[in-house]
Amino acid sequence: MFFHIVLERNMQLHPRHFGRNLRENLVSKLMKDVEGTCSGRHGFVVAITGIENVGKGLIRDGTGFVTFPVKYQCVVFRPFKGEVLEAVVTMMGFFAEAGPVQIFVSNHLIPDDMEFQSGDMPNYTTSDGSVKIQKDSEVRLKIIGTRVDATEIFCIGTIKDDFLGVINDPTTA
Amino acid sequence: MSEKGGKGFSLPTKTTPKSALKSTPASATARHDDNSAKSKRGRKVQFGMEGLPNLGFNFSSPKSDGKFAIPVGKGDWAKGGKGEKVVNGGKAPVAKEAKSLELRVEQELPENVKCLMDCEAANILEGIQEQMVMLSQDSTIKLPESFHLGLQYAKTRSYYTNPQSVRRVLEALSKYGVSYSEICVIANTCPETVDEVFALVRSLEAKKSRLSEPLKDVLDELGKLKKST
Repeated sequence: MFFHIVLERNMQLHPRHFGRNLRENLVSKLMKDVEGTCSGRHGFVVAITGIENVGKGLIRDGTGFVTFPVKYQCVVFRPFKGEVLEAVVTMMGFFAEAGPVQIFVSNHLIPDDMEFQSGDMPNYTTSDGSVKIQKDSEVRLKIIGTRVDATEIFCIGTIKDDFLGVINDPTTA
Repeated sequence: MSEKGGKGFSLPTKTTPKSALKSTPASATARHDDNSAKSKRGRKVQFGMEGLPNLGFNFSSPKSDGKFAIPVGKGDWAKGGKGEKVVNGGKAPVAKEAKSLELRVEQELPENVKCLMDCEAANILEGIQEQMVMLSQDSTIKLPESFHLGLQYAKTRSYYTNPQSVRRVLEALSKYGVSYSEICVIANTCPETVDEVFALVRSLEAKKSRLSEPLKDVLDELGKLKKST
């Protein structure tokens, strides 16, 4: 889910950026460095909402770079184990996407009465054909595990619980 | 050598490098990755699979081929690796699995973190996007892809017309001991019945008797606040 969090980072600035626009340069460098990244602790940094505080700059020995400690507020998206969210199916297996996070639901975590039908439009269908999961279906799933890569978070989800499963079918919409 | 316990999982026994080359490319990559960074990777992987049968994972995501440090083929998920010890000897495995899936946001994140409901997040991100349109003269600043994905997700998930009134309605629950993150999950999933709430947010089951009545009122209020689609 989304969180509003205050993070701190030490930004290094080259002397060519000093001058009247020092703060603007610092902020734009911060945005370039941080927005779009992902960490295990905080999740995806989706957007920076404001700068809380810029500390005093320290000149580094040997080089002319100056290090500023910057505190900034940002919106992050981090999936949690046990969280329920709604995702869109992107590929059969099946893989789903919820915002910037990829989620995989394995065959073992899909109810037993749903069977995989391969073909042009591979899908999962119940034995009576009433419920179908295919590409672009919306499903509600519960996250049971997370894995963090350098640039993205990947989750494993289940639909084998109560009140989980397909929300709407793209063919009927 | 095999790695056991800790927060990882037991890997298939590693023999000489020659046999690693003979195996399929995916498993060779997995083993090589494990070898070079297994201590790091082992700590980061946090799959909680307690109570599930041995899963033969053999998948590769379209975007990140071979990045998974999961043994190809059958592997043993170290049950002892989980942080919490479930002391429910007599109960069925299903109960254990349910307990381990409780939302534990507050313990895992630092104190000053505020959970956002999807509708609130959508408002904030839309505001930022409007600002970006004004700042777009500087072509080096552009919004990352995760921003657009996040914005789109938040917009499709916001069912309520007014986030503040939703917040007020749900705050009534906090005096019954419902944590902030649980309130956000309830708001995001838009449940229709009280049973749904208890099924989705398992950590509230302990307070079921106290919460049923107030939850029913809250859900009625939320139903009125939903956007008519």
